[in-house]
Parts: sequence; C-alpha cells; structure tokens
Amino acid sequence: MDFNIDSTGFWLFLGHSPPGKPEILKCRSPEKETFTCWWKPGTDGGLPTNYTLTYHKEGETITYECPDYKTGGPNSCYFNKKHTSIWKIYNITINATNQMGSSSSDPHYVDVIYIVEPDPPVNLTLEVKQPEDRKPYLWIKWLPPTLVDINSGWLTLQYEIRLKPEKTAVWETHFAGRQTQFSVLSLYSGQKYLVQVRCKPDHGFWSKWSPESSIEIPSDFIVKDTTVWIFVAVLSAVICLIIVWAVALKGYSMVTCIFPPVPGPKIKGFDTRLLEKGKSEELLSALGCQDFPPTSDCEELLVEFLEVDDSEDQQLMPAHSKEHRSQGLKPTHLDPDSDSGRGSCDSPSLLSEKYEEPQENPPTFHTPEVIKKPENPEANITCTWDPWDIHLESKISYFHAGGSKSSTWPLPQPPSHHSPRSSYHNMADVCKLTVTPVNAAITLLDKTENDAVKASKTVETGEEEKTGKPREMESSPSKIDQDIAWLLPQQKPLFLSAKPLDYVEIHKVNKDGALALLPKHKESSNKTEKPGTPETSKEYAKVSRVIDNKILVLVQDPQAQNGALLEESAKEAPPSHQQNQAEKNLACFTATADNCRLQMGGLDYLDPTCFMHSFN
Amino acid sequence: MDNKGSSPKGSFLLLLLLVSNLLLCKSVASIPVCPRGSVRCQVSLPDLFDRAVMLSHYIHSLSSDMFHEFNKQYALGRGFIPRAINSCHTSSISTPEDKEQAQQIHHGDLLNLVLTMLRSWNDPLDHLASEVHSLPKAPSALLTKATEVKEQNERLLEGIEKIVDQVHPGAKENKAYSVWSGLPSLQTADENTRLFAFYNLFRCLSRDSHKIDSYLKLLKCRIVYNNNC
Repeated sequence: MDFNIDSTGFWLFLGHSPPGKPEILKCRSPEKETFTCWWKPGTDGGLPTNYTLTYHKEGETITYECPDYKTGGPNSCYFNKKHTSIWKIYNITINATNQMGSSSSDPHYVDVIYIVEPDPPVNLTLEVKQPEDRKPYLWIKWLPPTLVDINSGWLTLQYEIRLKPEKTAVWETHFAGRQTQFSVLSLYSGQKYLVQVRCKPDHGFWSKWSPESSIEIPSDFIVKDTTVWIFVAVLSAVICLIIVWAVALKGYSMVTCIFPPVPGPKIKGFDTRLLEKGKSEELLSALGCQDFPPTSDCEELLVEFLEVDDSEDQQLMPAHSKEHRSQGLKPTHLDPDSDSGRGSCDSPSLLSEKYEEPQENPPTFHTPEVIKKPENPEANITCTWDPWDIHLESKISYFHAGGSKSSTWPLPQPPSHHSPRSSYHNMADVCKLTVTPVNAAITLLDKTENDAVKASKTVETGEEEKTGKPREMESSPSKIDQDIAWLLPQQKPLFLSAKPLDYVEIHKVNKDGALALLPKHKESSNKTEKPGTPETSKEYAKVSRVIDNKILVLVQDPQAQNGALLEESAKEAPPSHQQNQAEKNLACFTATADNCRLQMGGLDYLDPTCFMHSFN
Repeated sequence: MDNKGSSPKGSFLLLLLLVSNLLLCKSVASIPVCPRGSVRCQVSLPDLFDRAVMLSHYIHSLSSDMFHEFNKQYALGRGFIPRAINSCHTSSISTPEDKEQAQQIHHGDLLNLVLTMLRSWNDPLDHLASEVHSLPKAPSALLTKATEVKEQNERLLEGIEKIVDQVHPGAKENKAYSVWSGLPSLQTADENTRLFAFYNLFRCLSRDSHKIDSYLKLLKCRIVYNNNC
C-alpha cells in the first residue's frame, strides 16, 4: 500500500495556514532625508512567518528590499539617506512568508515630501522674567529637533506652544511662528504651569508634543512699584503733620487738660522762699517791717481787715456796682465797679485796704483799660497798694497821675466784663493785672519779682510824665501781662478754693520791694495787734499796723476784722467818714497823693500806695 | 569768527539734510516695490529672495490643496497612482533628487533650473485654469485656486528672472523649457482619460512646485544668509 502524505496537507492537518496579508501602516520621514515604514503583520498561520519589504522606485524597474529592518523597531523598515530619494514615488510592498505560504500586502505608494513629520522640539526651558515696572511674564525657549536641517533651508519649521496651570484641563495654545522663543504675559501668579511645544515643517505634519515642562509662577511680589510706596509715605507724612499741627495748636490746652497745673502757694507780694526758711525775722524784714510789732500810730491808717464782700458796697464802686454786685465776691473791685473792698487780689492780697475811687476818678482809671492788662479796664480801684514799690518813690504819684494805669487791684476786668468768676478770681486778676505794672510786681512774688521790679521801674520812668497815660504802662505791659497772666491761673485755684477772705500778714518787704506776706495763722506771734483772733487759716483781713512807714501789717481776723471793717468802712458810710479816717491815716504820711486821699474816701480799702508814699 | 559762526550753521544744515535723506530713504526702502514700467528700479537681493520664497511656498500650498481635493472627488479607487509614475512632462529636466545633490549644484545652475521649470508650467497652468471648469461639479475652491496658481506662477517667474539678473548679471538668457503636450488629454471625451490627465497634471504641479520651493529656500539660505538661516 502506498502512503504518500502531502506536507501541506500535513500542516493543514495540524491547523497551520499561510500568513495573513500584512498591511503597511505608515511611513514617516523626520527630516525629509530618511524615512521609515511600519507594517502590521497579518495572521501568522501558526507558523513562524518571515516578513520582507520590497519596493520599487519611480522610473526604475529594480526591486529593492528594505535595507534596514531593525532601526525602526519591529515590523519596520528604515530607509537611510542613501536609499532615500525625494520627489520620487516609492512602491512598497510587504511580503509575509511562512512555511505554508506567503502573502503580500497591497502596494503602498510613498513620496517622501508628503510624509515629513519631524520630532518634537528639544531643550524646552521656562523662565519667569520680572521686569521692574511690569508684571512678571513667562519666557519659553526651545531648540528645533536635532535631525532637522534648518541652516541650509532644507526644512523650515513653525512652532506652537501650549500651556496650562497644572490643575486646569484646558490647554492654552499659541502659535509661535518660526521663532524659537515665546513670551506669555497673561499668567496666574502663584500657580504651577505646564508647557509643551511642537513643530511643523513648511509642507508636512505637526510633530508630537514635547514632554511637559513645569514651572512655578511666583506669587505677586511685594509691590515693587515705587509709586505706591511713595504714595504711602506721603500720606503718612501728611497725617503726621496734621497730628503735630493739632498738637501744637491745642497742645497747651491738651497738656493742661491732662496735667493741670498744680497751684503753688501764692501769696501776693509774699516771698514764699521766706516761708520756706521759716524765719520770721526774715519774713518781717522782707516785709520791710523794721519795727515789729508795729507801733506806729499809723496803725489806724491801716484798714482793719481786708474783706472781699460781694455785698455791693456803694462806696466801692457805685458806678459799676450793679454788675459786680451780682457777682460773687469781691471781684467787685476787680471790676471797675463794685469793689467790696475785700481782700485785694483774692486772699493773699497785699492790700489791706482797697480804696475805690468813687465816681471821681473813674475817668482816670478808665485809662488803664488801654493798658493791655487783660483785665484792668478801669481804675476803679484807685489806690493800689504797692508796698513793693517802696523803692520807687514816685510811684504813688505816678499812680495817681496815671490813674489810667494801674488801677487798684480790683480792677482787672473791663467794665463790660463781669466776670463770672468768683470774686477771688477777680481779685486775683485785679491784683495781678493791676493796671500798673507795679502792682504786677507786687503780685508776682516768686518768679516775677524781678520782672515786676522792672516793670515798676518802667513805670517809674513813666511816672515822670505823670501824664497818666497808659502808654507808659504799656511799655511794660508785656511783662506785667505775663506776670499777671502767670499769676492769674495760679491765683485762681488758690482763691477759688480758699475762703472768700484771705488775709495775709505782711512780714516784710524785701529788697526788691516785694511784700512778704505770711499766712496769718503762721504768724500768730506776729504783729497781730488788732483784736481779732488770729486764725489758723490763711486769712488776712486786717492791717494791724504800719511799720516803718512802709510796711503794712496785715492781721488775720476775717470776721472780726470784717465786722470791724464794715463798721468802719460802713458800706453805706458816707465817704466823708472814710475820708476822715483816711485822712487821718494819711496824716501820718508826709506826702499823700490826692488820689490817695480820695481813694481813702472809699471804703474798706486802703490804698497802700498812699501809705507807701507817705512812708517814703 | 566767521568760521565759528558758519561751521555750526553748516554742520546743522548738513545734519538736517542727512536726517531728511534718511527719512526719505527709509520710507522708500520699506516698500521694495518697483513701480510698473520702471526700468532701473532695483530691489535688494534679500528682498527679492524673500518675495520669491513666499510665492513659491504659496504656489505649492495651492497645488497640493488642489491635488488633494481632486483626489477626494474624482480619483479615489480609480488606480491612478500606478499609472502616473514617471509621466510628468518635466521629468526630462534633470533635477537633484536629494539635499546633498541640491547643495552641490552651483546656485546659478540651480536658478536656471528653476527658471526652466517655471517656464515649462506657464502653458499647462494656463490651460488648467480654463479646463478645470469643465470638470463635473467642480468645487469652486478648485477653480479659484487654479486661477491663482497661474497668476502667481507668472509673478514668480519675473522675480526669479530679476534674481538671476542680480546674481548672474550678463548671463546668457535661458529660454529653455519643457513642452507640455497634455492638452488633448484634458479635453478628451473619455472621462477616465480626462480625469487621469487632470490627476496627472495636479500631481506633477504639486511636485514641481515643491521642488521649486525647496530649491529657492536652499538658495536663499545659501546666498542671503550664508547657510545660516
């Protein structure tokens, strides 16, 4: 029996078959100088299959086989430069062969110029550039793919970039033309950006996108914009200037608001330094008391007490009484008007008496208004006691002459100015202001002694004229004003808080002509001659005596003294009565100004200047 | 004294003249166009090459678009491709087949080659523009492009001739060109033949325009930029 087995049938029996038809997938040239073709094999039929690529060139009859199966990877054929012709059609065929058979693919016609697809660009670099006056921007730079020949112009590439924030899904694409760099201006700061680039030859396909490059966009910087800083600086400077200006303007009041000035013990005409020392003799000497207790029979000249009475004393200032009466205490005499004759200048008044010039001299005393004393409108107060001016002989005359000037103490306020202040206050003003600088000198014991003296001296010079014009006084109004002003606030609290009546005892007159006063209570042993209980409080209401013809000793005996004073002064007492007494007092003195006398006709107040004059 | 007075004046006038000249020249130079009819107008070589490359690029874009459109509409599945091998009327013109060969050719020879090819296409383009209208349901884009290609080709020819004048002044004028005899095929009644004729024409036009574009770009980079594009 014959046993003839066909091999093919044998293989078929085993289930193998010839290969399936391969298929050329694509051919690509990365630089228009070489190209590669890839195919897809068909079924292999279960047998190892061999694939070959054969091709024909246009215009040639020769059949070539693929020169390189490996470079392009599996199932590929790589045509190098030698085997690549441009502008020629390639007829490529894949042959699959296995044991069973073979099969061929359909021919594939390829012209290299139509299959150019370069590699992606390389060296993609990102940089965030931050120019000084602009927002930061992203600068993207890359290089063309390595294989492409651009320098000779064989290939001309155009580029395209795309970027997106890391978490965004949509790419932002930009055409970059033929340049190998690109700037992106619209960025979200503080984000991480991903960038890709691709290229395309002048007549070919777009490359694949390059691998992603990422960069972090820094957050918005601290504004480097100098203009903003300049604006901020200017604004803060302006605010500071405004604050400084406000403080400067209101500084004083603010400071006084915050730190109210502490009133010091101020006794008009009293050198507190003497008090500090605590030596009565010194005080007395300061007061000019050489003979203590005073035994002068001029004692009677002294007003027994200084009392500031808000009762309107006609005697005081009948003319002005109305307004002042309504006021509290004494300020009456401060106002040109009613001067109850209380303690001059508030409590520690130096004046033992104040004489207000009745209507007689109002005109003369009006002149003081001209003076700049803040409140010496009228010279209602006829006589101002100026023990300080002892050394100024002509003072009194001056005073009288220049009635305009200094008015008595209680004259500080302009007639129209009915100070709502307390009497003390007014008195203080009067004392201080004292139209006459001399008074100012008196009043200002502490620091302003010198000033006062100067003032008085100036006054003295002015006295020469005896014109009674305030101008002379004005010569030193500034000082006095200052003094007065200085005293004023100091006096205020003291006076306001103290009893209406404050009496001081004149200890002495010092060299500077300042009257050293002692609080009456301190000097119990002092020349308290007058009956009246010396009071512990600093109330000096009574002039106990005159010492040395120039020292007025005040005693402290408000009530009694007041009573006495009142009695004596007799508010409604006829001026003549007073005058008598005044005259009597004056009798002790050598010289007496007419004014003084007239003033004496006043009431409760004794113009010490008169005495001083006589003393001198 | 006179010198001092006159020299500043003179220098100022000179400066003024110079500035005005520069401005005028700049304005003229910014538009490298020779007015029609001008004989002695001279545009710079870089400008000529830039314009030539622009035109050649444009022509090839049009050509390849036309080819693809035609293929899409008329040639699919007809097996035209195998028949079109080696059938361009310009195949006889010996042209470099790759980059190395093209770089080895002297630029004058290459320019002549370009001229020859451009002249060879004058006639076919002219007929194409008119015959394409006879195509059944010819897309309008095809028609406009055919006309455009014809015009641009003529302009490119003029430009290359000017370049040759500058690069090779006094060279013997080259009038050679390939004759195209495909007109009867375009007008034949046989649809298939006609379509194949059109197909072939579009294909050859696309290839040749690509050749011209490539050669001119090579020449430009070689001549104007010294191989450093």
